[in-house]
Amino acid sequence: MESDEEDFVFYGTPIEREEEINSRKKKSVADASGTMRSLPSWKQEVRDEEGRRRFHGAFTGGFSAGHYNTVGSKEGWTPQSFTSSRKNRAEVKQQNILNFLDEDEKTELEGRGLGTSFQFDTFGFTAVELARKQSEKEQQQRPSAIPGPIPDELVVPAAESIGVKLLLKMGWRHGRAIKDSRANSLYDARRDARKAFLAFSTGDTKSEIHNSESFQVDDGVSPQPAKGDISSSQSTPVYVINPKQDLHGLGFDPFKHAPEFREKKRARAAGKQEGCGKVFSTKNNLFGFRTERVASGFGIGALEELDVEDEDVYTSGYEFEETYVQEDDEPPSKLITDGKQKLIERKVDGVLPGFTVPSNSDYQLERFDPPVIPKDFIPRHKFAGPLNGGYKLADTPPVDVPPPDDNNLKLLIEGVATLVARCGKLFEDLSREKNKSNTLFSFLTGGTGHEYYSRKLWEEQMKRMDQPKHQFNDKYSPSVEKMTAESRGRILHERPLARSSKELNPPAASDGVHVQYNLSDTFTKPTSSGGMSEVVKPFEDDPAKQERFELFLKEKYQGGLRAAAPVIAINMSEAARARERLDFEAAAEAIEKGKGKGLKESKLSAEHFVDFLATGGMRFTSGGVEEVKDTKVEGLAVEKMIPKREEYQWRPAPILCKRFDLIDPYMGKPPPAPRMRSKLDTLIFTSNSVKSTKVEEPLTSTFTPSPQSNAEERNEDASENVNEKEIEVECVDRPVDLYKAIFSDESEDEESTSTLKQAEDPKKKVEVANTTLNRLIAGDFLESLGKELGLEVPPDLPPSKKGQTAAPQTEVVPIGEQNTDILSTENKTYPTPSSTGIPSEHRKTGTKELGLSGRKEDNEINHNSAGSDGKFMETSSSGKNASKVNGGKMYKEDRKPHRRAEIHRECSNSSSSEDEKRRKRSRRRRYKSSDSDDSESSDYHGKEHSRSRNRKKGSSQENKSRRKHSKHHKHRHRDSSPRDHHRSGKDRTASEREKHRWRD
Amino acid sequence: MSVSELPTKEANVLKGHEGGVLAARFNSDGNYCLSCGKDRTIRLWNPHRGIHIKTYKSHGREVRDVHVTPDNSKLCSCGGDRQVFYWDVSTGRVIRKFRGHDGEVNAVKFNESASVVVSAGYDQSLRAWDCRSHSTEPIQIIDTFSDSVMSVCLTKSEIIGGSVDGTVRTFDMRIGREISDNLGQPVNCISMSNDANCVLASCLDSTLRLLDRSSGELLQEYKGHTCKSYKLDCCLTNTDAHVTGGSEDGYIYFWDLVDASVVSKFRAHSSVVTSVSYHPKDECMITASVDGTIRVWKT
Repeated sequence: MESDEEDFVFYGTPIEREEEINSRKKKSVADASGTMRSLPSWKQEVRDEEGRRRFHGAFTGGFSAGHYNTVGSKEGWTPQSFTSSRKNRAEVKQQNILNFLDEDEKTELEGRGLGTSFQFDTFGFTAVELARKQSEKEQQQRPSAIPGPIPDELVVPAAESIGVKLLLKMGWRHGRAIKDSRANSLYDARRDARKAFLAFSTGDTKSEIHNSESFQVDDGVSPQPAKGDISSSQSTPVYVINPKQDLHGLGFDPFKHAPEFREKKRARAAGKQEGCGKVFSTKNNLFGFRTERVASGFGIGALEELDVEDEDVYTSGYEFEETYVQEDDEPPSKLITDGKQKLIERKVDGVLPGFTVPSNSDYQLERFDPPVIPKDFIPRHKFAGPLNGGYKLADTPPVDVPPPDDNNLKLLIEGVATLVARCGKLFEDLSREKNKSNTLFSFLTGGTGHEYYSRKLWEEQMKRMDQPKHQFNDKYSPSVEKMTAESRGRILHERPLARSSKELNPPAASDGVHVQYNLSDTFTKPTSSGGMSEVVKPFEDDPAKQERFELFLKEKYQGGLRAAAPVIAINMSEAARARERLDFEAAAEAIEKGKGKGLKESKLSAEHFVDFLATGGMRFTSGGVEEVKDTKVEGLAVEKMIPKREEYQWRPAPILCKRFDLIDPYMGKPPPAPRMRSKLDTLIFTSNSVKSTKVEEPLTSTFTPSPQSNAEERNEDASENVNEKEIEVECVDRPVDLYKAIFSDESEDEESTSTLKQAEDPKKKVEVANTTLNRLIAGDFLESLGKELGLEVPPDLPPSKKGQTAAPQTEVVPIGEQNTDILSTENKTYPTPSSTGIPSEHRKTGTKELGLSGRKEDNEINHNSAGSDGKFMETSSSGKNASKVNGGKMYKEDRKPHRRAEIHRECSNSSSSEDEKRRKRSRRRRYKSSDSDDSESSDYHGKEHSRSRNRKKGSSQENKSRRKHSKHHKHRHRDSSPRDHHRSGKDRTASEREKHRWRD
Repeated sequence: MSVSELPTKEANVLKGHEGGVLAARFNSDGNYCLSCGKDRTIRLWNPHRGIHIKTYKSHGREVRDVHVTPDNSKLCSCGGDRQVFYWDVSTGRVIRKFRGHDGEVNAVKFNESASVVVSAGYDQSLRAWDCRSHSTEPIQIIDTFSDSVMSVCLTKSEIIGGSVDGTVRTFDMRIGREISDNLGQPVNCISMSNDANCVLASCLDSTLRLLDRSSGELLQEYKGHTCKSYKLDCCLTNTDAHVTGGSEDGYIYFWDLVDASVVSKFRAHSSVVTSVSYHPKDECMITASVDGTIRVWKT
């Protein structure tokens, strides 16, 4: 067959039988033959050497993972399973790069690693590495007490460095110093440790290392480059790690170029460590206290900020004996190394680190005589191209020529003229040279427009001539220039002056003042100043001071030269000067005032001035730095009035009296008017304590304000009436709300919402709390006012009285509607001013009444609205009661508006005005809700203040009209007192409950 | 009493405080003394034997004042952490912490029956705290002062406070009156005479002033020492014959009560003498200083 075939000639391609030829094979063959390459790219297929397709289309499998493709296993990539049991602990595998390399890659990598051969292992690093590896191997072979690889430090290099080898060849042996014959290695080791310790403790390793450079270089075995008698040691090197304690970047050394500051800082740090011992004098350093005055001995907590109160006030002003902490780790023997000595020296002398003070210096400071100034030297620079060099300005001005017709040319000419005037003739020359060919600039060389140009230039120069003169006047102050007085005078065309010297002694100072005086005279018209200083001489008894004062006046009111500060008060301290300045300031003001009034009143102004002196003295003497004379004068004034005794009413808390075993002087008397208090206080005193104290001591709320403050209040005029009204509105509305708040949850027979109230909604509570907070922050002071009303009255409603209390409440609801109307009528009555204030016999009880007034108003309104309904008393009192309990029940409060709205709807009034009122009320309601829990959370006494402040204003005016009501009221209170205890028990539980809730 | 009987000889030095000592106080019978300082501790000493007995640590900041009950069972202390601590002496535990001051608390005192602690604060208030009840709220706040209250004294029926506003205010509980004596100078420290008729006020103009309590009259002024910026204690000797006080330069001064002459002065400390306390019966005095030591002086 074969042979036959050989003989035939074949045409075309033979048809191969399918079964015989593996398509795969065929394709691979085709591949090999390069047929594939001829195919278009989209038809080409990637195959491996076996002809297998490795990449399938996205829909046919993508990269087919598994045995054939990437991994050697059939499953393809499978995650390693991790099992570890008690008996069979899983090994912790350390992965390295070899885990991720294929075999072929590994073979490739083989022998490519870089390392030092033993021959060149100068520093023994490779030896160390090898030793480590060796030890690791050993470690694996035998069990060891230390698990894991041995730490590097434990492994000592096996090979010696070339240096060691050399030394050995030179006859050196281990454990021997190069120069020193002393082989006391123990001593060396001790010394090194000491050094290291020292360096560490001082926190300045670097300089330490500089001192003993040797330690840096060697690896512990090699000897040091000998330096003096420093001995080498066999001991391992001590690397002192300098902990990074600052906030600078890594490697940044802020003291790089100023090592002396490092020294200072280090010393400071050391001083801190020493406790109270070392104190730096910050006496005259205004800015130093921030860091240095921190309390010695103990710091503050790490989390606390360092603020003013942590400054150690006790160590600021006084420099106590400096206690030098001597390093007593010095060896007793006289074998003190150089470095050591240096260290100590440096400490003592404050020489730069690494340097010592030479015992004898050959360096001589060479002094040169100043150059001799030629007689005709004028100490002013003459410019090469003088401003007005080329032109004789004072001479005849060029003829005024009409500008050229060409507007452009005219502008150009004007521009150049100003420039030339400003920059001098040089500029003209330059531009002339430059624009020689330019016809536009022909005016410079005498072409068209030259006349106009010269005229313009002249004008400009004339203009400029005026200015510089002024400038000179302003610029030259005696301290700036070091020219002689004559030369200056010549320049400034002023009359010659006395020499001004700058020595810092008193006579010179006065001299300086004198010069100053003269100078300012030359520049300013002395008319006004002279007049002024003659009119009033406030410091006549102290001529020096008077002089300074006059100077001050001059400075203040007139321009002219300013004195350099030291001239004024050379012998005064900073503080004294400041205070004097204040004095002057005030005095000047007083004088000015007097002047304003005219000469006629000049006497009066003088009196006023004396007045000022007295008060001013009072204010400014506390420093005690004042000159003796002044203090004497002031002391006289002060002594007359001191000690001044004043007496006020003060109400001790009943419990305080009880604890002191005293009888409460105010026992049985109704609680006094609360003290006034600022809005701010309301915000600050936020502790939820009020409730409990209140409950324990229903009468604790009594806090008598000083009559003084009362009087002040009374003096306040009707300007606050507007405010007043607002407050009234608030108060009027309040009881009803509180009332409702209370009863809504206590009585089931309420309106439709009663069921709602029963449910506790913690969320709402939170909301209310939040709103309260917001309110507080908003600082609505109405609210703080209103809130306190509720707290005022001792509770007198026994819990058993549910049914009774419910009834009045229903009545009150419509009253709320009417309140506003009543209010308006009431407001009209307020402005009636109390012409004489409060009668004297009334004073004592006045406060008490004032305190009640708030309540009175409420009751009155109730009274009015309910007519002569006998129940109003109960309602009001229970309302107050409500406010008390409120704290515990605030979550109910936000439901109030709903109910309100209902009530409103029920009400027939639907006029627009009514609507408005309703809106108002609803707003108030919101306040109230926040009030209630605020009242709980804010300090009780504090509240009293703020309340009283506002209340008293109004109430003092109303006092007369209200008196009868108050009587009425007091009565009622007595009646209700027995019930207080009853009530308070309940209150306490409520408040406690509330507290718990708050804590949660 | 002659000058020679003044306690001018150093008997003991009590060392232990790290940092300045801000107050040193004898107990009521004078056998022990308490000190407190910037190291946030209170220490109990036997000054006569010079031994340190106990340390009380709980304060978060410097302790400014300490006082012990007449029966030696309880302590109260106050300081920069704005709290008043009520301690049990023997166990060294804090029984109660009274919070409420809005600033540092400068001084603290028990009343005679040890039922109330009155504290004076930087927040311009005096506060009375009840030791009997479990409440940690003040039972009384007196805030008529217009500046920091530096010192407080208690009698059987009165609370006396000295303030930087220059006033010494007496609050009489029996009649319910506040009596304010304006000295015109910031008052650093007040101290009662032993007969309780006078009050000695240390003012910041380097003057001690003796006031008659009933009339408010200025009886005498004592000068010579330096007191311009620190809170320095002053007191009368046990016989009320002399007035003594520290100075900012480390000296101790003794003045004659009547003619206000400096009877004796000597350098006791290397720095500001913050506190002096005189033995209730004997001629013995302790002084405390910023230099961290307490020194016991005897005749």
